[in-house]
Amino acid sequence: MLSRFVNRLEEGAIAFFLGGMVLITFSQVVARYVFNSGAVWALELTTFFFAWLVLLGISYGVRIGAHLGVDAFVKMLPRRYERPLVLFAGLCCCAYAAIMLFGALEYWSKIYRFGIDTEDLYVPRVIVELLYSGQEGFRYEPIGIDRWVPYSVLPIGMALLLFRFAQATYLIAIGKRELLIAGHEAEEAVAEAQSELQRSESPGQSEHTSGGRS
Amino acid sequence: MEPIVLFAMVLFFLVIGVPIAVSLGLSSVLFILIFSNDSMASIALKLFEAQQHYTLLAIPFFILSSAFLSTGGVAQRIIRFSIAMVGFFPGGLAMAGVFACMMFAALCGSSPATVVAIGSIVIGGMRQAGYTRDFAAGVICNAGTLGILIPPSIVMVVYAASTDVSVGRMFLAGNIPGLLAGVMLMVGIFIAAWIKKIPAQPWAGFEEIFESALDAGWGLFLIVIILGGIYGGIFTPTEAAAVAAVYAFFIALFVYRDMGPLKGVPWRQDGEGLGRAAARNLGRTAVALVPACFHRDTQKTMIEAGRVTLMLMFIIANALLFAHVLTTERIPQTVTDAFISAGLEPWMFLVVVNVLLLLGGQFMEPSGLLLIVAPVVFPIAIEMGIDPIHLGIIMVVNMEIGMITPPVGLNLFVTSGITGMSVMQVVRAASPWLAILFTFLIIVTYVPWVSTWLPNSLMGPQTVN
Repeated sequence: MLSRFVNRLEEGAIAFFLGGMVLITFSQVVARYVFNSGAVWALELTTFFFAWLVLLGISYGVRIGAHLGVDAFVKMLPRRYERPLVLFAGLCCCAYAAIMLFGALEYWSKIYRFGIDTEDLYVPRVIVELLYSGQEGFRYEPIGIDRWVPYSVLPIGMALLLFRFAQATYLIAIGKRELLIAGHEAEEAVAEAQSELQRSESPGQSEHTSGGRS
Repeated sequence: MEPIVLFAMVLFFLVIGVPIAVSLGLSSVLFILIFSNDSMASIALKLFEAQQHYTLLAIPFFILSSAFLSTGGVAQRIIRFSIAMVGFFPGGLAMAGVFACMMFAALCGSSPATVVAIGSIVIGGMRQAGYTRDFAAGVICNAGTLGILIPPSIVMVVYAASTDVSVGRMFLAGNIPGLLAGVMLMVGIFIAAWIKKIPAQPWAGFEEIFESALDAGWGLFLIVIILGGIYGGIFTPTEAAAVAAVYAFFIALFVYRDMGPLKGVPWRQDGEGLGRAAARNLGRTAVALVPACFHRDTQKTMIEAGRVTLMLMFIIANALLFAHVLTTERIPQTVTDAFISAGLEPWMFLVVVNVLLLLGGQFMEPSGLLLIVAPVVFPIAIEMGIDPIHLGIIMVVNMEIGMITPPVGLNLFVTSGITGMSVMQVVRAASPWLAILFTFLIIVTYVPWVSTWLPNSLMGPQTVN
């Protein structure tokens, strides 16, 4: 139950950030040619979306085993050597994530203390007016967004990555998972084509229906 | 000495099955911890900064557009058009397979994906038409590598980002070599078919050519948008990619209707008047426009594209970190000095690059390998007066061939997967065609004109700064 909810959350976030990036960039092109205008914040927001997509996503990638690696050598070994080696590889990954988490926290706490603004991002005017318009002598002034807000994904992402790597290593240790990595990017598609091949060849004759649809 | 430790660490981690991205990142981090005193904060920041790079921002968009269009339905349309075009030659079905791979490569930047999509349809069809399994598998396995050479190509975007050459130039430069490789393969097939007396398909007629072209054209127009848009100065490559993604979404869901809310809805029902059909389609499209953005198929495609994006960007970010370590250790300069003082001729240098990339391509994902090799090789090439665009195309072609050279060429595994042949059988089947591609590599390496003529004549000569 919980794992299904987390899955929805992760996939939803990925789709949201990717979709957001496309829509912002596309709308900028439309705005330039149709309305002859553009928004200064668009580019920076897109790159932040991109960073959030990737940094939050890599832990999801670990969970579903999407990260590429070289599996040829490990698979050649006899099984009793394979497992300890893969376990060691898992520990290396945990070490990587831990070091990166440490560095990310160091950087993030620094910019949090100094309070540097982002370049072009401001709190939307509507929100500012809602919050402060009741006050005496209110005049709208743009409020910049601090850099630590978008950059918080760095420590968060690294913490999640460490968690997922530790989890994967544990699953390998208790024998519930075999590999950390995927051999190549089209692994799923090949598996699909393979099962289709077997289905078509099992009735005795290999009947391929090709070019039938248009 | 120290650089050797760095490379040895990467190789060690790769072999024991650590993901490529982590192998690169962990080696860099350990190297910095041991040999230098860079702060960890600035290292971690590198992972964030990879996504701030404007050129690299094109990558998720290109991946998304290819995710919408690299479906079985689109592959089928392209194959139908290819058979209509070249099927009537001797060995026509095999030539159509190559032709289809070339067109599919323009929609989808990945070589293994091209082999799966085209191969799983064409190889079966070829065997029914009387081709041997070896012939069919060998042809498709080789033709599938064109994926990263014919624009738009993610590897080219990565090369452009790491060496600061223009993406538009790289895309233009890929056209002639891509066509040349395709034509060379087709001529090879023609000769083989002539000798083996492989039958041709019947001439399909102009009507079929026209109809299938119209059908496949919706998807293929994507290339016109990207290349035309960049070259015409209408948008930047990154914007072109975003526009391509939106276009691909629209074509897949509302024109081809292979997925989404209008799946299976015919354009024209039996006995329906033209005006009535137009009104019905327009109405249904308008109604479905918003739901389509949140349809299950759209979500699935988006997540799939996101998965590929984050996997690739994780490698790229860590490769950038690795390249950063290389530069701070002044390794490119050391290597450049060594090469220049050894008095190597440019052609010898290019042989070294070829061998290096063919070997590296066995273990590494192309974009990651390129980011590591480019900072070392690029300054030497500039010093020797080699055109940066030419160098880029050489590197791309090398990695392409790396995918079909044994022992661990990726396309070999994929072909073995979709045909049920053993990898050794695929290697044997692919080798005659591999010889053609090697000839092609030599041409591309030593005839710079092939890669530089089109971009130079359309965009003016390249200037090196």
